[in-house]
Amino acid sequence: MTESVVELRSVDVHFASGPLWARRHVHAAREVSLGVAAGETLGLVGESGSGKTTTGKVCLGLIRPTTGDVIFDGHPFDYRRHARRGALAAVLQHPQWSLNPRLHVGTSIAEPLVINGFGSSEERRRETGEMLERVGLQPVLAKRYPHELSGGQRQRVAIARALITHPKFVVFDEAVSALDVSVQAQILNLIRELQAEAGFAALFISHDLAAVRYVADRIAVMYAGEIVESATADTLYGRGLHPYTRGLQAASDLIDDEDARLADASEEVASEGCPLTPRCPIATEMCGTTRPMLRPIVDTLVACHHPEGREDHARPAAG
Amino acid sequence: MTALVAISDLVVDFRTRQGPVRALDGASLTVHEGEKVGLVGESGSGKSTLAMALGRLLPPNAEWESGELMVAGHSVHDLEGAALRRLRSHTLGYVFQDPIGTLDPTMRVARQLAAVMEAGSGGADVSALLADVGLQDHHRIARCYPHELSGGMAQRVSIAMAIAANPKLIVADEPTASLDASIRGQILDLLVSLCAAHGTALVLLSHDLRAIAHCCDRVAVMYGGRTVEVGATAEVFRAPVHPYTEALLRAAPGRERLGGRIEPIPGLPPILAGRAEGCAFEPRCRHKIDACALTRPESSDIAARQVICHRADERRPAVL
Repeated sequence: MTESVVELRSVDVHFASGPLWARRHVHAAREVSLGVAAGETLGLVGESGSGKTTTGKVCLGLIRPTTGDVIFDGHPFDYRRHARRGALAAVLQHPQWSLNPRLHVGTSIAEPLVINGFGSSEERRRETGEMLERVGLQPVLAKRYPHELSGGQRQRVAIARALITHPKFVVFDEAVSALDVSVQAQILNLIRELQAEAGFAALFISHDLAAVRYVADRIAVMYAGEIVESATADTLYGRGLHPYTRGLQAASDLIDDEDARLADASEEVASEGCPLTPRCPIATEMCGTTRPMLRPIVDTLVACHHPEGREDHARPAAG
Repeated sequence: MTALVAISDLVVDFRTRQGPVRALDGASLTVHEGEKVGLVGESGSGKSTLAMALGRLLPPNAEWESGELMVAGHSVHDLEGAALRRLRSHTLGYVFQDPIGTLDPTMRVARQLAAVMEAGSGGADVSALLADVGLQDHHRIARCYPHELSGGMAQRVSIAMAIAANPKLIVADEPTASLDASIRGQILDLLVSLCAAHGTALVLLSHDLRAIAHCCDRVAVMYGGRTVEVGATAEVFRAPVHPYTEALLRAAPGRERLGGRIEPIPGLPPILAGRAEGCAFEPRCRHKIDACALTRPESSDIAARQVICHRADERRPAVL
């Protein structure tokens, strides 16, 4: 087992909002533990509000966890900014929002080097040109503005900008969600190739299980701030063990399967027991009262009282 | 079911400084009352032009070359003045990609909605309408200006505006593309359930195949300004006949086998200067024959759908 570049150990994140007399608390992440090794991609899937982006931000050091530890490169995370300059990077959903519209894309790509004071201007120009070629763009495009490029080209620029400092760890937060189907395929393939080449650790966050499964080595499924299933990507080409994972699998299928669909998300998440209980097709009384813990089943970690359906669970009890 | 929209062989050109660009090259589509139809295709395939042509909302440099476009029994191209305004205000409702851009920045939400409802037949009040589109604190939102709303809220308001006059057809042009990926599903579900509740037909434009699969009864795949394959969504996505549909489906992650690679469609979509003499997909097609570059394929009925491909007869639906 190689050592993790980034590791979270039972991280909890609470947010509080509203005035003091009507404080509202949100539990955005609960007992989240994960690790990403060099050259490995961890996929993080879940619906809106499941805590995916919060987890990503904790990994990047943008949010400090309420409790729990963040380990970066074998040491506790150092929140002083210069301590980890150039070692972390992120690629976000809308490249037209993450690139400065008034800068040439070449300038945008070189900006992280300038800010960190890496290299001379000559070296930076050379590196920018090389980086553009590595993401499949012609170096002449360095003199263009973001609005002159297509959506796919812009996302390639955003990736080039993220990788220019040779980071150890990159977060892709919904990096392909805003793109055309065919362009999406190109970008997913590009991410796979660049990772094989540069060997960075990656966290790939998306609501789309199919895309995550394609780029990731391991996948963590999140619901209501908790990891409910954690398995290798290969395993999730088959059926997931957790009913929520199976719901996501059904949602990512092009052929609509009404039976496997989860009930619509309700505003309230059960405070006791399993958070999925109100929506779960196989919930029992026990689910409403006892919170399931993450436990290993074969090579998968699952937090469910009835993994793989109730019948399978009932069989050993009957026999 | 009667045909609410009947488009046949519609040809639209755009005049540009570089000469004419053909956006629609003989597009045909029928939408029945209460039906949900998806339009898919890459950027530049002519989806938006077709959607805008429905309300004759094309920009001034667009030229209507030929073809018929009937909406609720009226030929849209021949409508003038009051009749055209009536089509736009009563028969059609539009939902666009950028919700904040579609709302008037100088008017509070309540006033904009009231203006639309006066024109319509229904007299339901603004709050009820906002509650219908799932906005919980509708009293506050009614008094907001558009810039005070989040993208998702603004899109709900613009859906409320589209449905306010009880139209027969809602045209939604990439309604979720500019929203955060995590709330797209909710907005689409809202749109579909409102259309179902009012018996409104829906034309949904999207490049998100999964969204179309979940929302639409029928799908029309567009390429090079033509509707190359039209049929029941489940059938078309399960077993595409047209090579372009097949390539599009193969490019979407989710179908590949374990350890396999997804294949982007090679090349770029065409920009047509005039009528395509052959098949527009020919340069990128894996199944092309000599005839593809030379003769223009016509629509044929294969496997309960309309397909525009020379090899449609011999191509059995490809089960992916």
